Amino acid sequence: MTGTAPAPPAAERAPGRPTDATPTSLAPTGRGLARRARWYLVFLAVLLVAAVGIAVLNRGHRYPPIDPRSYDSDGAHAVVALLEHQGVKVELGTDPAAAANGADTLVLPEPDLLSPAQLRAVAAARHQRLVLIAPGPAALGVLAPGIRAADEAGDAPFAPVRGTQPGCSLPEALRAGSASTGGMLYTSGSRGDGCYQRGHAYPLVRTPSGGGDVIVLGSGRFLRNDELAGDGNASLALGLLGSQPRLTWHLPDYTAPVAEGTPHKSFGDYIPKGWHWALYQLAVAAVLAALWRARRLGPVVSENLPVVVRAAETTEGRARLYRRAKAHGRAAEALRRAAAHRLAPALGVPLQAGAPEPEALCAAVAGRLPERPAADVRALLYGPPPTDDAALLRLADDLDALERQVRNP
Amino acid sequence: MALTGRTALIAALGALFVGLLLPSWVGIGAVTGAVLLAVLADLVLAAPVRSLRIVRGGATTVRLGDTASVELTVTNPSGRPLRALIRDAWAPSAWRPGTAETASRHTLAVPGGERRLAVSVLAPSRRGDHHAHRVTVRSLGPLGLAGRQGSHHVPWTVRALPPFHSRKHLPSRLARLRELDGRTSVLTRGQGTEFDSLREYLPGDDVRSIDWRASARRHTVAVRTWRPERDRHILVVLDTGRTSAGRVGDAPRLDAALDAALLLTALATRAGDRVDLLAHDARKRAAVIGSSPSEILPAFTNAMALLEPALHETDMRSLVSTALRMAPHRSLIVLLTGLDAAPVEDGLRPLLPLLTKRHEVVLASVADPHLDVLAAGRGTVEAVYGAAAAERTRADRRHTADRLTRHGVTVLDAPPAQIAPALADTYLALKAAGRL
Repeated sequence: MTGTAPAPPAAERAPGRPTDATPTSLAPTGRGLARRARWYLVFLAVLLVAAVGIAVLNRGHRYPPIDPRSYDSDGAHAVVALLEHQGVKVELGTDPAAAANGADTLVLPEPDLLSPAQLRAVAAARHQRLVLIAPGPAALGVLAPGIRAADEAGDAPFAPVRGTQPGCSLPEALRAGSASTGGMLYTSGSRGDGCYQRGHAYPLVRTPSGGGDVIVLGSGRFLRNDELAGDGNASLALGLLGSQPRLTWHLPDYTAPVAEGTPHKSFGDYIPKGWHWALYQLAVAAVLAALWRARRLGPVVSENLPVVVRAAETTEGRARLYRRAKAHGRAAEALRRAAAHRLAPALGVPLQAGAPEPEALCAAVAGRLPERPAADVRALLYGPPPTDDAALLRLADDLDALERQVRNP
Repeated sequence: MALTGRTALIAALGALFVGLLLPSWVGIGAVTGAVLLAVLADLVLAAPVRSLRIVRGGATTVRLGDTASVELTVTNPSGRPLRALIRDAWAPSAWRPGTAETASRHTLAVPGGERRLAVSVLAPSRRGDHHAHRVTVRSLGPLGLAGRQGSHHVPWTVRALPPFHSRKHLPSRLARLRELDGRTSVLTRGQGTEFDSLREYLPGDDVRSIDWRASARRHTVAVRTWRPERDRHILVVLDTGRTSAGRVGDAPRLDAALDAALLLTALATRAGDRVDLLAHDARKRAAVIGSSPSEILPAFTNAMALLEPALHETDMRSLVSTALRMAPHRSLIVLLTGLDAAPVEDGLRPLLPLLTKRHEVVLASVADPHLDVLAAGRGTVEAVYGAAAAERTRADRRHTADRLTRHGVTVLDAPPAQIAPALADTYLALKAAGRL
């Protein structure tokens, strides 16, 4: 409905209407905008202050388990502090390939997170002692040849952590005595020395390697801050980690992808390299399209809707009440009165107070329909109320039939 | 500010440039930067919206069901040409159902310093006043990539009048009126009608109308002729209380009552009677008194346009006293209300003697055809109970009507389609019987 035509002369306009000189724009002025935005700005400021406050108060950092920086119950700061107290120089490192710096110990908490190249670099670094915590087959193959996981040898792969006697000739274990060991289990191989035996396998295996040795631990549980004071855990930890004057604790990079298994190729890998950027550009276009569609041409106009009350609603409600109350009598009474009211004028019976005389009506019906027994008609129009729904239905049909017969005898 | 689809399309085509020539952040930056620069240029070059001058004109009233053209004159005082998408926002019921989206949009080009006209065609679907909401203008830049957007408040009101569907019954009733009037060849003789003149006896005339005294004075037999009374007063009282809100078919009872009142008014005005209007629920809603015959229908439709059913009980005492004040002499009072037992028995019946003492009273009520449908229901238990309830309601209405009739009130109970002609016929019958 668009029409473009020259404007009418200004004289046609009624007086009092806005003329060309009256500004009608609803565009907000700077001051109005500031007034409208005031409470939003206050709210935003409060939100910002609250966020900063919560961040300052909650600065505590969650470390992964057995982290040498963590004071939590599952951290390992206590053992590091003990080692430093013993004169061991402890370093934390993130590069596993760093070359050994003289006689030292390297702790690898999650060897499986290292790539094969990194594992080979660790092996080549020739550390005096290498402590592997729960290594998988890939790390074992490179760093501790000869030792295998227990499940590969047909034994149970895991054992619960509990205090166990060493039962081996490893001097650190003998000095510590009973200690909380368990976790993954390993075979000792031909040259290895297994301790804390569980079944046919061991949660701690020492094997010589090059100039030094490799310690494979099924679990680092005894290094935790809360476990260190129990059994001979502290002695075992100091013995295993403090044999050299220097200790390097590798901090695993948990964000690195798991090295083992073939890499899964996603759809994106099949798109030529440069077209990734085109996808980003399409995303920009999508954002622009969203901005285009999101802008409405003015607000939605609301309407005061009228109340809709159907006039027959009360009657329908009454019907439902009749039905729920099983008011056969009342329903039959209403139908009979209506039928009588319709029959009376058809038969010429006068109405008295809106209803015909029963006697007169029955006589008139009998006169019009001599073949119907009078008692039958009387029972139909003025008989006892029906006792169930079926009788009520029958009554309604019988009344209809009577009316038809009276009208067309 | 608003973007167009063109902006998004260009950005999407830019993906080809990025993919083929510059697959890097630099490529994305170059494309996006160029698009944003063009958008910025468009925004700067678009004609300003704030300084536009918008003036309305056109129709202020429309009969429900017809269309009304409302004009928007857009003046562009800036030097830049305006290419605008304009939305003339009204409430949804002001447009033909389903076309609100398209009918309210206009594309307009206004060269700098000139003005142009856009015409919105309204087709209100509800009676009453429809107010213009606001005019939103999106002024696009020369590249068509982006535009400035703003709104103007340009008030306008279009009043949707009652449709007066029953005017199709008017010619036949006017013909009947002319018969009564004696302007056609049929002469009527009614008790209590006004004496008009004497004329010569013709075979077929009622011998009772022979004026023997006049016949003695002249040499021929003279008969009296009569004409119906003129200059009678009729007061149409609309009850806009809760009983008028019930929907019968698709419209509230009040709409059918308005229609009937309009037909009666048109007929009575042509018959030479004066008609006044009162709409009342808990308080007086509208009153039209003493309009001249030429202005009475517009005055009534204007007053009726704003009537809405109120959802509370009618104050019958106040209604009757207001009606009596508006009818100081003998009048025909047409009461358009409901026949529901409770409000009539408790509210109206005790007050009826006040009305019937001096006035002729007609009570017209809009019946619900759905009751007949319900009453004919058979076959299932639900239908039979529905039929019983409907018969009960109809019996109650009949009972109420009977009691009112005994008070000397003429009661009409007709479905919406028949209420207007039925009321007109009742009026004609009363007039013929000389009961006004």
